[in-house]
Amino acid sequence: MTRVNKTIAVLIGVGVMLAANSAFAHHSRSMFDQTKQITLTGAVKEFQWTNPHCWIQVLVPDPNNAQAAPVEWGVEMGAPVELMRKGWKPGSLKPGDEVTIVVNPLRDGQHGGLVLSVTGPDGKIIGRPAEGIK
Amino acid sequence: MIANLVGRMAMRPAASAIVIALLSGCLYPARAQTSSKKRVEAFAKLPDWTGIWELDAFVGQADGQQFSAEGQRKLKEYAAAMRPSFIPEYQAKYNEIRKKVEAAIAADPDHPPVTHEPLCAPPPFPATSTPGMYQWRVTPEETTFISTVGAVRHIYTDGRSHPPNDELWPTLMGDSIGHWEGDTLVVDTIATRKRFYMGELSGFFVPASDQLHFTERIRMVDHDRMQIDYTVEDPLALTKPIHTTITHTRVTDFNRMVEETDCEQNERDPVVDGRFRTVVH
Repeated sequence: MTRVNKTIAVLIGVGVMLAANSAFAHHSRSMFDQTKQITLTGAVKEFQWTNPHCWIQVLVPDPNNAQAAPVEWGVEMGAPVELMRKGWKPGSLKPGDEVTIVVNPLRDGQHGGLVLSVTGPDGKIIGRPAEGIK
Repeated sequence: MIANLVGRMAMRPAASAIVIALLSGCLYPARAQTSSKKRVEAFAKLPDWTGIWELDAFVGQADGQQFSAEGQRKLKEYAAAMRPSFIPEYQAKYNEIRKKVEAAIAADPDHPPVTHEPLCAPPPFPATSTPGMYQWRVTPEETTFISTVGAVRHIYTDGRSHPPNDELWPTLMGDSIGHWEGDTLVVDTIATRKRFYMGELSGFFVPASDQLHFTERIRMVDHDRMQIDYTVEDPLALTKPIHTTITHTRVTDFNRMVEETDCEQNERDPVVDGRFRTVVH
């Protein structure tokens, strides 16, 4: 089954339920491939504590080519107030902090994703990771 | 005349106090005191819904807004309970809407189409199952529902009726009047905008007629839970009313309401030609 057909089948099969999930956020999450997980390790370029979503811009070196320029990824999280409830603060990350971030990548191949977990410079997870994350 | 009165007041202190009060308009506080007493009594009869609340399905949500397993289970339960049963004419309208959405997804699954609106404006009626936190302000005259994603609902409990038909038009929150049955607030809502139909639960633009009518029964079942029973009636579009119940739980990890609707601050999932386009830099 192609990806396109799979999407249709899910919508028809789960119907209102799937639509409910997409409607609960300010936008759909189906631009992220929730069947895939990518681990990004790099240095924080910027932590954007902003509405409607917080974002981490992270510079990820190419593990196979130390001479290559790092690739900038933009990864999305929830709104500031909701993150604060989960243990985040506006100063939780600073430029240069070494982090490991697990994301569901964007389907369209851009260097972006939806955060599943963030591990800070001290090796501890910040905030509340998604359940069942590998 | 005033000079004459003042002269007499010097001899009669009690009378002078009344005259001064009359001259300065200070009899108003006396009336207000009586009125306040009645109002305090009216407040005393109302339940205490103070605090901050959220839909139970959101408890345990992760940084990336993923639901907990329990939250997912509740969402499925809520969505299943509100599945509409349309008469054929409206089923056809619903099928048409759905077909368009499915075709749009199939055409470009990487960039999902917008299937509900508005995105960054206040959510539509009933606004009681959106993300964020909620507060209920209960007064004798009105109960107000406020959410951190911009919803404000005014539920009038002063005995009024809905406005006459020629003064009503479809609005985001419709027109709500309510009354108390013990500790339960019974809310009657009409004139909601047609395309919204428990919008945040149904997801799609679900067709409805101008006969769409909502009844909510809202009560605190214990210190940490509020329960809302909905009945959705639309005699022109539905074969039978929809009944569903949702639960709000008390928020204990945060103690202030912070508005979250400021999408323009950093909108990185803009809608372009009806589809979401994520901006990664």
